[in-house]
Amino acid sequence: MEVIIAGMLSIACLIQNLSLVIADLQFQIYFGYWTLGILEKMAVEITEFLLSAQSADLKVRNEAEGRLRQFQEQNLSGFLLSLSIELSNDGKPIESRRLAGIVLKNSLDAKDATTKEHLVHRWVSSDVSLRSQIKGLLLNTLGSSVSEAGHTAAQVIAKIASIEIPRKEWPELIASLLANMTQQDKPSSLKQATLEALGYVCEEISHNVLVQDEVNSVLTAVVQGMNVTEQSSVRLAATTALYNALDFAQTNFENEHERNYIMKVVCETAMAKEADIRQAAFECLVSIASTYYDVLEPYMQTLFELTANAVKGDEEGVALQAIEFWSSICDEEIELQDFETGETGDSYPHSRFIEKALPLLVPMLLETLLKQDEDQDQEDDIWNLAMAGGTCLGLVARTVGDAIVPLVMPFVQENISKPDWRSREAATYAFGSILEGPSVEKLSPMVVSALEFLLNAMRDQNSHVKDTTAWTLSRIFELLHSPATGFSVISPANLQKIMAVLLESIKDSPHVAEKVCGAIYYLAQGYEGFESGSSVLTPYLPEIISSLIATAERTDANDSKLRSAAYETLNEVVRCSNLVESSQIITQLLPVIMNKLGQTIELQILSSDDREKQGDLQALLCGVMQVIIQKLSSTDESKAIIFQAADQIMMLFLKVFACRSSTVHEEAMLAIGAFAYATGPEFGKYMPEFYKYLEMGLQNFEEYQVCSISVGAVGDICRAMDDKMLPYCDNIMSLLLKDLSSADLHRSVKPPIFSCFGDIALAIGVHFEKYVPYAMPMMQGAAEVCAQIDVNDEEMVEYGNQLKRSIFEAYSGILQGFKSSKAEIMLPHAQHLLKFIEVVAKDAHRDESVVRAAVAVLGDLADALGSNVKMLFKDLAFCSEFLGECLQSEDEQLKETATWTQGMIGRVFSVCG
Amino acid sequence: MADESTATPRRDPIKNPVGITAAQRRRQNAVSVGKERREALFRTKRLCRVGVSSDMDAPVDSDMMIEEEQSILEAQTSSAVEELKIAIAFQGKGAVQKKVNALRDLRRLLSRSEFPPIETAITCGAIPLLAQCLSFGSQDEQLLEAAWCLTNIAAGRPEETRALLPALPLLIAHIGEKSSMLVAEQCAWALGNVAGEGEDLRHILLSQGALLPLAKMMFPNKGSTVRTAGWALSNLIKGPDPKAATELIKIDGVVEAILRHLRKSDEELVTEIAWVVVYLSALSPVATSVLVKTDLLQLLVERLATSNSLQLLIPVLRSLGNLIAGDTYTTNAVLVPGHELTDNIILALVKCLKSEHRVLKKETAWVLSNIAAGSVGHKHLIYKSEAMPLLIQLLKTAPFDIKKEVAYVVGNLCVAPAEGSGRPILIFDHLVSFVRNGCLRGFIDLVRSADIEAARLGLQFMELDGIDAMERFQFHENEDLRNMANQLVDKYFGEDYGLDS
Repeated sequence: MEVIIAGMLSIACLIQNLSLVIADLQFQIYFGYWTLGILEKMAVEITEFLLSAQSADLKVRNEAEGRLRQFQEQNLSGFLLSLSIELSNDGKPIESRRLAGIVLKNSLDAKDATTKEHLVHRWVSSDVSLRSQIKGLLLNTLGSSVSEAGHTAAQVIAKIASIEIPRKEWPELIASLLANMTQQDKPSSLKQATLEALGYVCEEISHNVLVQDEVNSVLTAVVQGMNVTEQSSVRLAATTALYNALDFAQTNFENEHERNYIMKVVCETAMAKEADIRQAAFECLVSIASTYYDVLEPYMQTLFELTANAVKGDEEGVALQAIEFWSSICDEEIELQDFETGETGDSYPHSRFIEKALPLLVPMLLETLLKQDEDQDQEDDIWNLAMAGGTCLGLVARTVGDAIVPLVMPFVQENISKPDWRSREAATYAFGSILEGPSVEKLSPMVVSALEFLLNAMRDQNSHVKDTTAWTLSRIFELLHSPATGFSVISPANLQKIMAVLLESIKDSPHVAEKVCGAIYYLAQGYEGFESGSSVLTPYLPEIISSLIATAERTDANDSKLRSAAYETLNEVVRCSNLVESSQIITQLLPVIMNKLGQTIELQILSSDDREKQGDLQALLCGVMQVIIQKLSSTDESKAIIFQAADQIMMLFLKVFACRSSTVHEEAMLAIGAFAYATGPEFGKYMPEFYKYLEMGLQNFEEYQVCSISVGAVGDICRAMDDKMLPYCDNIMSLLLKDLSSADLHRSVKPPIFSCFGDIALAIGVHFEKYVPYAMPMMQGAAEVCAQIDVNDEEMVEYGNQLKRSIFEAYSGILQGFKSSKAEIMLPHAQHLLKFIEVVAKDAHRDESVVRAAVAVLGDLADALGSNVKMLFKDLAFCSEFLGECLQSEDEQLKETATWTQGMIGRVFSVCG
Repeated sequence: MADESTATPRRDPIKNPVGITAAQRRRQNAVSVGKERREALFRTKRLCRVGVSSDMDAPVDSDMMIEEEQSILEAQTSSAVEELKIAIAFQGKGAVQKKVNALRDLRRLLSRSEFPPIETAITCGAIPLLAQCLSFGSQDEQLLEAAWCLTNIAAGRPEETRALLPALPLLIAHIGEKSSMLVAEQCAWALGNVAGEGEDLRHILLSQGALLPLAKMMFPNKGSTVRTAGWALSNLIKGPDPKAATELIKIDGVVEAILRHLRKSDEELVTEIAWVVVYLSALSPVATSVLVKTDLLQLLVERLATSNSLQLLIPVLRSLGNLIAGDTYTTNAVLVPGHELTDNIILALVKCLKSEHRVLKKETAWVLSNIAAGSVGHKHLIYKSEAMPLLIQLLKTAPFDIKKEVAYVVGNLCVAPAEGSGRPILIFDHLVSFVRNGCLRGFIDLVRSADIEAARLGLQFMELDGIDAMERFQFHENEDLRNMANQLVDKYFGEDYGLDS
């Protein structure tokens, strides 16, 4: 079975990856004259290939895949048509039909955006009659007596719909699907597949591409399908479809009658006798909780009863969704509260459901905490009633704050000392869950008095109890240990005991040790930015560090989680330490880590598994190196330590890079950035050897994070080497330009590249001149991309902001770099830049950080070009308004920059009188 | 995705291990360190240059007389500055109030005596402290007191005013639209003091962008704010470079605001606005040509007719004179003889000629002389008006400086502009009438005066428009007139001619 699936996936991927469209002209011409006979003959051939492509025999499989690929390459239209015919033919084996469906689907959609775009283009540019023939075959397949074929067809239909409906190229789809629902004599399998298709279509398309009439009909059909009188397979499909269609129901949910009707049907369905239908209905309720929070009031009584019953007695899948309903309500109310404190004035309806349900909700959730799995701490990815309940309890605490404390504490007190481990674990978990939300005033007396108890509980007989206790300690240190702002549960009186317990418990079983690492992590983090406070930890540092290293070396854990937790905790301890006192200790730590890193290079590599393990270990150790280098380079005195060891450190990094032939180690590259900053101009002597890895990193399109970090390293190295960077810049610039023009590189790398232009220009000054003809069109092109970003797509808006910021940084670096001698090179580009700044300034939703960069670059332009840009500035009404707005900002740095810019613009006009 | 698994994505459990998130956090931290360093580098490069450009020196005059009382005041001042320093460094509870109190003490000292201890305050380092108190986000009361202190310092001697240089950008920043009115007003006041000090300081303020926000301060209807803004603006555009005046008139809304405020009953407000008009019309031909095409003249004439405030009448008169002298459009197209406005202005000027105030009479005569320089029609109009007997009277009895202006009027009334390239034409009717009315006596008095200033005035008069007539007078039938003319020519164009100008 596994082999077959692997075969299917590999052929599916193969075909998907082929990006060539070969227009077979001959085929196009004769297409219209093809007879059904020929089509069928072809379909027979493809059946064999599709079956062979899933063969357990590698040779057979490879050959079949080759034939299919050849067919696709030579005659795409025929290929797609044959796949549809295969899928629609009830006479064919289900195996070949299934694969035909998957290949068809993968010919229309891909996870990768660039490939997807290509596939969409390929589909919309293919022959209209071919497309309608395929669509007709798919719609027919919905009625297949083989339900899996109908199910697959529904998925393919949705993929085509996602392409064609926004383009208004399949206007009849909804009507033809609805027709399936209204005809009395049709089999239930057709209804089921049709409902699936409707659901998938709704999931694929945006809710504003359907007109309201269509939405109404779809919802009516779906809600009718949920009716008790329908067969259970139809009800399940309808309920799932409703889940996907809920986003479309805005208008219907505004109408009380329609809303009542939908809610009534969903609540009825939530009591269906089939568990999977109940679960699907609860999933709908979860979605309704977040999408239609503001109209839920009249239904809350019913919904509480429904969910309470489900949590108490229903199957786990259903009960988990019932808890999720309340978690979602919490999410909504927390967001409303955040919004309220953020901007007073506009008030969205906050119905305070959690507050009102609190006396019943909390006991219900506490009950779930007692339903732990025997081995829940050993397994990753476990999600049971107790975990969901505790998570929800944590959200409730964040929603209502202090009010939760008196409802939870009796449960804690009653259970914390019971002989049954479940009671003790549940009590501790409950306590740990409510530490975020209530005020420090409310929590601190309790926590201070509980601390001693918890420390003792680290010697409990049960490891679940110890696990949760350690986690609770980490929560306490995370939330109630903030010495910089004046409050901490940790005092000189209890620190010694705390450290003794933690350093003892870190030797406990791996999952307990991992939680203890968390406790130490947050304990150290409390002193972040408050170095003088972290003096209290200094006496414990040697022991903490050696314990963490010993923990990282443990071999009794069956995965690398404990090692990673130990090293990351070590990093936090180093990062937050008081450098004056700890530099000695960190200096001693450096060779230890270097030694360990050196050992990884000697590891025997026999398999790809070994290679991976080596890479993971190197990642952790390079992480520690990065933190040590960064810490020590923060003062000149301690920086000397890095200087002394610089040659060996760099040698080590080069060896780590050399462990891989085709890729660059991400963490090592990150450490290089810190190292370059620490060594300054001295880094130049390592460049000849290091350069090839930098180049490799910049060319790594697949692992885009590696590429991004390499770009960042270029920036760090520029700042370190200044004009000594010059000999490398030709190559680096051409690689960066190549990265920018690549459609394959993940877009998130592009903003760092523009910023990097600024870094390079600042480093090499006038020598950047020769890159201007290449860089400028890229920057202008990117500026135009910014203008076209969909303002409703939050993710794209954020990307747009990064892009804008980075374009401004590029301009700033170039202008500042040219300022002293060749500023006039930028004169022809000033107009475009000003236009771009104006667009940004006039954007109603502009982002603060973008504004900062825009104001700064405006000043840089005036500063660099002086009276040359007088004429350009003269007509700019937006300028003074924009600066005026910035001067009124709350952001001190923005005001400072705006004042500076104002001065620079003033000078533009004063220079020439 | 419409794929096989339909399970909803699970939320993150509250009980999650530290490792993965910690690693992400560390990596983000490492990346953001790079970004911070980039920003820091940019910022240093930017701010370094500002340091160079705002280089300044404030020489301290050590030859100051020290009286006993003054020395006590100085001691108090130096300790007040010290208090302010401590208050600024103080971070704890009530820090703001502490600063406000220290500022208030200093301000009171700087306002108290006739010779405020400005120099001491500057020597003790008050300026950077005050500038610091103007930092953004400070409370209004603090901003107000700091700006007030700076206002008083700016009112000092030139080099003391100059010491304000480092605080100027902040003062300008606080006159923005979103500052509180009081703060903006106080800052405008300080800036007005600085602008009044000299051309170079005006230049600096203009280059730092003070013009636009000050102009915008004139837009609202709050009297005191507009008044202060108007005053500061008139100081700022004083010139002699006309650029600022031209720029001001081009700012959207400025002309409207000026006209709007000139209609108000608040005479103090109107006075300040009128001064703005004075400088606009005196310096900028562009401004003048814009203004004469509005109903500004109408408004000024109405003011002139109805107000009795000397403070107001002077800038109004001067504006009128500038507008008439500065753009021929005024006399050619607006103040046309026969037009109601023209009659009104003569009436209003007559009223001013009757005034007790010497300055007013002089300014009025000057305006009249400009109108009299117009067409023959204008000359007839004045000649026939009630102004005539008053002018004749003034020529006989008024002090010399007024006589001079009246002489201009008389001269202009007697001479019509040349046609083509020919010589100016004498209007004998007017001339004869002046002589018959005993004008000559006063005229001779004027030129015969032993007073050097009067003599120079006479000389200027004759140089400017009298010489041609004088030559004719020498052969005139009227003996008195001929004698006078001969005397004049002998005295001023004979032996003394060209001695000094």
